[in-house]
Amino acid sequence: MKSSKKVLTYFLILLMAFFIVGCSSNSSKEEEVVGETTTVGPEDGAKLEMWLFVDLHQQFYTEMLNKWNEEHPDKQIQINFTVYPYADMHTKLTLAIQSGEGIPDMSDIEIGQFPNFLDGEVPWLPVNSYVEPYKADLVSSRLDAYAKDGNYYGVPTHVGAMVMYYNKEILEQYGIDYTQIKTWDDFTAAGEKLKEASNGEVFMTSVDTGGADWLTLAMSQYGESWVEDPENANVQLKSIENMLTMQQGWLESGIAEVTPGGQIDTEEGYATVANGEVAAFPKASWYMSRFTDYMPEMSGKIALAPIPVFEEGQARSNGVGGTGTVIYKESENAELAAEFMAWAKLSEEGGEKIWDILGFDPVNTKVWSNDVITHNPDNKFVQYFVNNPFDVFLEIQDEVNLIKTVPITTTINEAFNLTTLNEVLENGADVKEALAAAQEEVDFEQE
Amino acid sequence: MKGVQSILFSQKAAPYIFILPFIISLSFFWVYPMISTIIMSFQDIGTGYSEFIGLANYEKLLGDSVFHTAVKNSVLYTIFTIIILIPLPMLCAFLLNSKNVVAKRTYKSIIYLPALVSVVVSGILFRYMFSEMDSGLMNQILNFFGIDSTQWLKNWGTGMFALLLLATWRWMGVNTLYFEAGLSSIDKVLYESAEVDGANAWQKFWHITLPLLKPTRIYVTTISIYGGMAMFLESYMIYGGNSSPKNIGLTIVGYLYRRGIEKNDLGYASAVGLVLLIVALAISMVYLWSSGMFKKEDK
Amino acid sequence: MSQNNTEPNQSSLFDASALVATKKVKKNKDGKRSLYKVLINGFFVIMCAIVAVPFVAGLFASFRPGQMLIRNGLNLQLDFKNWSFTNYGYLFDGSTGYLDWYKNSIVITVISVLLTLIICYFVAYGFAMYNFKFKNFLFFLVIATMMVPFEILMLPLYKEMISLGLIDTFAGVILPGLVGASTIFFFRQFLSGLPKELLDAGRIDGSSEYGICVKIIMPMSKPAFSAMAILSAMGSWNSMLWPLIVLRSADKFTLPIGLNTLMTPYGNNYDVMVAGSMFSILPLFILYLIFNKYFVEGMTAGAVKG
Repeated sequence: MKSSKKVLTYFLILLMAFFIVGCSSNSSKEEEVVGETTTVGPEDGAKLEMWLFVDLHQQFYTEMLNKWNEEHPDKQIQINFTVYPYADMHTKLTLAIQSGEGIPDMSDIEIGQFPNFLDGEVPWLPVNSYVEPYKADLVSSRLDAYAKDGNYYGVPTHVGAMVMYYNKEILEQYGIDYTQIKTWDDFTAAGEKLKEASNGEVFMTSVDTGGADWLTLAMSQYGESWVEDPENANVQLKSIENMLTMQQGWLESGIAEVTPGGQIDTEEGYATVANGEVAAFPKASWYMSRFTDYMPEMSGKIALAPIPVFEEGQARSNGVGGTGTVIYKESENAELAAEFMAWAKLSEEGGEKIWDILGFDPVNTKVWSNDVITHNPDNKFVQYFVNNPFDVFLEIQDEVNLIKTVPITTTINEAFNLTTLNEVLENGADVKEALAAAQEEVDFEQE
Repeated sequence: MKGVQSILFSQKAAPYIFILPFIISLSFFWVYPMISTIIMSFQDIGTGYSEFIGLANYEKLLGDSVFHTAVKNSVLYTIFTIIILIPLPMLCAFLLNSKNVVAKRTYKSIIYLPALVSVVVSGILFRYMFSEMDSGLMNQILNFFGIDSTQWLKNWGTGMFALLLLATWRWMGVNTLYFEAGLSSIDKVLYESAEVDGANAWQKFWHITLPLLKPTRIYVTTISIYGGMAMFLESYMIYGGNSSPKNIGLTIVGYLYRRGIEKNDLGYASAVGLVLLIVALAISMVYLWSSGMFKKEDK
Repeated sequence: MSQNNTEPNQSSLFDASALVATKKVKKNKDGKRSLYKVLINGFFVIMCAIVAVPFVAGLFASFRPGQMLIRNGLNLQLDFKNWSFTNYGYLFDGSTGYLDWYKNSIVITVISVLLTLIICYFVAYGFAMYNFKFKNFLFFLVIATMMVPFEILMLPLYKEMISLGLIDTFAGVILPGLVGASTIFFFRQFLSGLPKELLDAGRIDGSSEYGICVKIIMPMSKPAFSAMAILSAMGSWNSMLWPLIVLRSADKFTLPIGLNTLMTPYGNNYDVMVAGSMFSILPLFILYLIFNKYFVEGMTAGAVKG
């Protein structure tokens, strides 16, 4: 029986470990920090469950919720926020919808995932009537992004206008004036000059193999869209071909490099920017917060500007990314939730917080021209960048197109991000052939 | 009452009672979901609707080039892991048994350690060891030998290498232990009599060790086939998600996950799953049958 | 003879038996043999070193700021100026649910190991000790379940868990995995190796079938139990996909899910991710160090008879 004693001993060790861990985590609970679930609002308020995938968004919702509860003593709300990683949240939401159980009252959904959640019988509440009071001031393309059959199912967060981020310090050092760059030809010429002047140390820009932002930008500039006809997507477009051919040329002549990490919004991408490896790159407005959060050392060096175009007169921007908040229509408090969410994200005061906390360009354009908000000297974004971001946003206000996200978009993005862009930019494949192959992959899904 | 008790306690009933938990679990957590999957594979399923579409899902699979890539990756991964993870551990076990090994238990313990680490943690470690940055370990090694840094996780060959290295690292020790156990069961008398007959080390290995390790080999190969064909999380962690450039890390299960969970296409995903099942079952059944596994009971 | 001189330094690091072994070699003046010995031990020392590399690199990274892992990758550089213990501090200051995850993993692992061992032992006993109708067919099913990747059954199983009301519970995580085919397979291998005469002897002594199983055979199966305890503890501690689907609330997460949630660039998660990863290996390492002997014994005992 000697060994059974031993087994007992091990079991006791396990138990001990359990208690040690158990106790220590209890003590941490007393300090009111529990996991990633946070409850905000009074106990007697209407209780809502909300899922999100970005930590910072929770801070924004929390502030708006506290404000709401102050202003509406008769409509108290308590929200239980759970933050999941991006992929897990969308997976969990899919599974919940399939089973019809455990669907949260509200959830953020990323724009690229949104079509998946509009398939078949839509479980969400149309928010048209809740959006109505603010509609005149909104960038309407953002509402359309989350619409189906004339119903708006998602409350948008931002416009996501693309701008060119220039590293002014480097460019000045090598005698380049970025404000004079109007077309891609100017951009390429500046790149040549930079290469010469820096002995190839600094690339003018970096091109992406893991993201389609450059391509949607090109489509926007030519006024094309690969999902012009959502049932019959076509990726063999002049805009895409021109963009990819131009990028291949940059790579060949050493003006550009392929972005480490696949695209600039990755940890590797931040390192590339922070090391001054690239002098410019186009990215959406929300990339400003990446600068303040992950590259504080670049403060005062980065300027925003409209993006160059192929031909004068083309649109100098494009709306990229986004988060739509959906409200579960079977939820007990669906209407209250919709009312709150529309106010939180679409009102002017909501827009102000979206700018202050998240650094986004709010959907409510009243905010854009409100100098008190946009030129607030205490704002960290105003302090960080060389020029005022809203000066640029206002300049391109009417040029922010949107390439709609439809069900087939997932397949297109997959084909480009996984295969086509790698073939063209890493392996130097023929652009036309690569696009034909991509079209084949897309057609397979839409026969 | 006594009658019932005597039946329950009879030698005839006992085996059924022993295996009862298996039967219950089998029906709840295997047969039922299995049948659901089969049914779903003939359906088009979306949120709130489902309709029978016959063999359409399977027909689509035939022309699906991404699926073919996934099958190719899974099958090659399985073959490579078997090529590496059968002979190498066998050799290790054989060498460990040598009288000349001075710290057998220490070696064994260290080689086994990686098996204790979860796919999540080991995947994180390997992902960043194979970083494309010059300061990543694998690139440092290349640079040390005067070779330029490479983007390990962007090309098929190097990506597969990363996956295989991870598999070898994790399973080397486990398989060595299996073979070591198999070796220690071989009667030493056999070797001694072979020595009397003048056999050298190689002949002993070829004529005694190898044939007598057969049961172990069957077991290890079987679990390797299964593990290889069902590989998913390793690739998921190494590529930081279910998407890899040019789908070089996509496996059959990865494709099932992409279709079923990421794209919410349960019907098509079920068809992918069933094809995987049929392929894996066929390979392992043929293997087991050819090695006489099912005849053993009679002997 | 130079090999003999370098030998003790190299191997005594690992094992006391090295000294004894070296003495033997000195007696045995056969040069070829000692060369062989150096080669074979050198092979294993190098292999152990290679095996250790990812651990060491991970440990180094856990002392550096988390961002460096992503920006620079893992390496073996001793850049002490970047090192600190702050990452480990984050694990315990309650800023993440790390300790909750740790506790949950322990609870789930302990419960499922205990239940799995008992149930699988009984099932395997039935298969190994008796001949009965459909036995071969049922055992074929055991193997067949091993051959079915879990992911195929995942979605229907999830629906089932909902209708059973087991979603977001530990029971939902544990139940489907309780009757593990590989564990049954392993126990059966072990039990088949025991002489059947033991059963007859027990019956003559008047024990019931269950009495024999529990009182006679079970004590003899301890090595198999220890081996399976470790193996199933490993499986449970490290399992990821199923818990991720069943568990909803962040305070019920297990370690692998929790660590995976940290792989996002938003928030200072990398610090916790790398330190948390290294720290999560610890319990299994400790168990392995204690159990090691039984583990190897159990493994050996089980795989003896094919």
